Amino acid sequence: MGKTVVNNPFREDLVSRNLAEACSVVIFGATGDLTHRKLIPALYNLAIDGELPAGVKILGFARRDWSDKFFCEGLKKLNRQVSRTGHDEEIWKSLAANIEYHKSEFQDKDGYKRLSDRLDEIDRERGGKGNRLFYIASAPEYFDDILLNLKAAGLSQQRLDCDGCWSRVIVEKPFGTTLETAQHLNEVVNGTFEEKDTYRIDHYLGKETAQNIMVLRFANAIFEPMWNKEYIDHIQITCAEHLGMEGGRGGYYDEAGALRDMVQNHLLQLLSLVAMEPPTDLTADGVRDEKVKVIRSLRQWDTPELVAENVVRGQYIAGNINGKEVPGYRDEDRVKPDSETEAYVALRCMVDTWRWSGVPFYVRVGKRLPKKGTEISVHFKETPSVLFNAMPGGVPTGNVLVIRIQPDEGISLMMNSKLPGTTLRMEPVKMDFHYASSFGKSSPEAYERLLLDAMAGDATLFARRDEVEEAWRFIDKIHKAWANSSEELPISKFAAGSWGPREADELLAKDGRNWRRL
Amino acid sequence: MTQLNSSAYLGIPVEVGAIDGELKKLWEADEASTNASLMNFLVYTEDPSRLQKNSQTIQELTRENACRAVLIAMNRHAADVKVESWITAHCHLAHGKKSICSEQVSFLLHGRSLGRLRNTVFAHLNSDLPLVFWWQGEFSELFEERLYRLLDRLIFDSSDWADPKAGFRRLLMARSDTKGRMVTQDLSWTRSYFYRLAVARLFDDPMADKAFPEIEGVRVMAQSKHRIAALLLLAWIITRSGWSIQSQESDRVILESREGGEVIVELIWIDGGAPISGLEISAPNFKARVSREAGNPHLCQSICAENHSIDFSGPADFDDSAGLVASQLSRGGKNSLFLNVLPQFVKLLEGGD
Repeated sequence: MGKTVVNNPFREDLVSRNLAEACSVVIFGATGDLTHRKLIPALYNLAIDGELPAGVKILGFARRDWSDKFFCEGLKKLNRQVSRTGHDEEIWKSLAANIEYHKSEFQDKDGYKRLSDRLDEIDRERGGKGNRLFYIASAPEYFDDILLNLKAAGLSQQRLDCDGCWSRVIVEKPFGTTLETAQHLNEVVNGTFEEKDTYRIDHYLGKETAQNIMVLRFANAIFEPMWNKEYIDHIQITCAEHLGMEGGRGGYYDEAGALRDMVQNHLLQLLSLVAMEPPTDLTADGVRDEKVKVIRSLRQWDTPELVAENVVRGQYIAGNINGKEVPGYRDEDRVKPDSETEAYVALRCMVDTWRWSGVPFYVRVGKRLPKKGTEISVHFKETPSVLFNAMPGGVPTGNVLVIRIQPDEGISLMMNSKLPGTTLRMEPVKMDFHYASSFGKSSPEAYERLLLDAMAGDATLFARRDEVEEAWRFIDKIHKAWANSSEELPISKFAAGSWGPREADELLAKDGRNWRRL
Repeated sequence: MTQLNSSAYLGIPVEVGAIDGELKKLWEADEASTNASLMNFLVYTEDPSRLQKNSQTIQELTRENACRAVLIAMNRHAADVKVESWITAHCHLAHGKKSICSEQVSFLLHGRSLGRLRNTVFAHLNSDLPLVFWWQGEFSELFEERLYRLLDRLIFDSSDWADPKAGFRRLLMARSDTKGRMVTQDLSWTRSYFYRLAVARLFDDPMADKAFPEIEGVRVMAQSKHRIAALLLLAWIITRSGWSIQSQESDRVILESREGGEVIVELIWIDGGAPISGLEISAPNFKARVSREAGNPHLCQSICAENHSIDFSGPADFDDSAGLVASQLSRGGKNSLFLNVLPQFVKLLEGGD
């Protein structure tokens, strides 16, 4: 990973990663759920672990007429509920002393002028270092306004009177809704901040197991020689959610759908980590150069026929999960009764590279599936049809390496073993590694790592402009095919609590494969 | 595993030759628990009265570090040579459902018998798993090459040593014998982890950064029992700052900074209080301070510079050995920073008489 130049001699060696620098963190959309449930608890947990640099100031920017005190009280209440390390009042007080609220409309230029003055004042108090980290966590319709107003107020450029200072922006998802809107947003972002100062967040990349994919592949000699078409039959990526549209999510979700909400970002990022070539180094661009090549190599499903053959979309109808009756998608809160939005999608992706030629990557994501779980399973080819595989029934199963992203993060490997006894009977057995029980410390939340990386100037775990646009190019073509021929490409129905529509099973069955049971 | 759980300390007495068989029987009798082990964790003491306490410590440690625990206490002054042994398991619910157990074998070795410690250790390890060896007390002559060359990680607490100079000489020799393969972890060093993190955090501040070349004084306040922890902390500051020791007289050290300035260090020993109760780094118009009251789980950190001051709290290190060992295990790594600091530390230790 690239090193940030810092003068502090005491920081070197104490932690083996880039060094986070003190800064003012301005959160746009500070009254929202993300700030309360994720961002502030993440900063609090960094403080608990002693990793938050001294002098970090947090400024919540939002429209509501709140005071500093009211804002902090609300944050404290949520932190007590959701912080992974519990709530330590002493540490909280220390953090809260550096949290303030800035009331302004996102379109109000004067609000940004006042923000600029306030940040200058903080910098003066702090002793002159003017690092700023702007976190855009507002609703996406305000992204343009915020960025343009930051630029107009002169906040997007580093302070001229401060050598080595920086000004960075973190942009939350959704990063566009189509290729066109993503390109527009990229134009606005890059017209405001330089690409090196732009951090497009995809919190899946901050998860411990997602980071571990590269370690698993490139720090172990046993996997990489087999990580190709010669040994791997196919790969499955599953993101299952048992919840539906609770908590008012229906409004946003019904506009986005599973393909845009999950596949364009999270699942294609996971796919690229699994399929990428070894990077030449661990710098942000070294890693992202290889990831974007994977997305660029995805075979494009750009006709209704190809989409029909390789993509299945679905909607759940009423069913039950864990013995509880749940409504169908069209009966969910804030969902249109005649909605054509997919709450489930399964894709057969082909990565047209030398390494992966002919190896399908099956990707599925859906709401109201039987259980929650995100995992990548690597299915190895079967042994030759001699010896044990030539016996009646053959070997019970091929080897499967499973990388569990959430929950119960870990890795398992299925292999075949002889059952004890005088006859030769084989059964699959599982070697299992669980993060929770293997290491004597809990994994940090994804936002902890990502916030610290942004303060350190390390963009490895953030999406680059070309990654985002290439992913949208792939997704857009599928959407266009759906939009242009809804007759031929109907939405498949499945009962809530089942593992998706029959058509998704058939997608694999026609290749002689099955979805892995989670 | 009902029988095991009911045994609070060492568990069931067994014959040494029957240990493996008895352990097997226990697991066969229990289908509800999972026997987990990620390392061999060996605790050795030459104070037999610590055996039961060590078992309690393992009970705590296994909450987050599943292991095959081997506890050995040596009663070297006993006239007769004999061995007593026990087996037990420490079980904890994982995620409120699955009972994960770590098995423990305890030995009380009486009398003197050549090579017995080494042989007892090697006979009861899970193969392939790393061997973490917690040596309690001074390194005796039993700490010998044929034992330590097979250790992956050696944990010790130099604050327990009556003769730290001899202890560290022994340690450096062992490091040299093992060609640096054995990771060494001194709990006295672990005791200053959050102090070091706090200092690093304070010097992120631009005012501290500006004041750094002008530092003229360092004061470390600690319990005299934790002199080694204080010296290791000081050695870290000297090493990281690139300063050199000019002279040392008792608890006053004169250093020269990279800029050629003089830095005066005072070591102040306090009865009671936290192991390390305070650290002050001062320059003209600047003071950075980290302090801790006895038993307080937080460190107070502050900077005062001209018209700029900040105060905040951060986490503090554990006081008890079990907590320190647990935090060491959770951090893992090669502990290379400790090794980098050792040359300056040894100078301070040798020069402090």
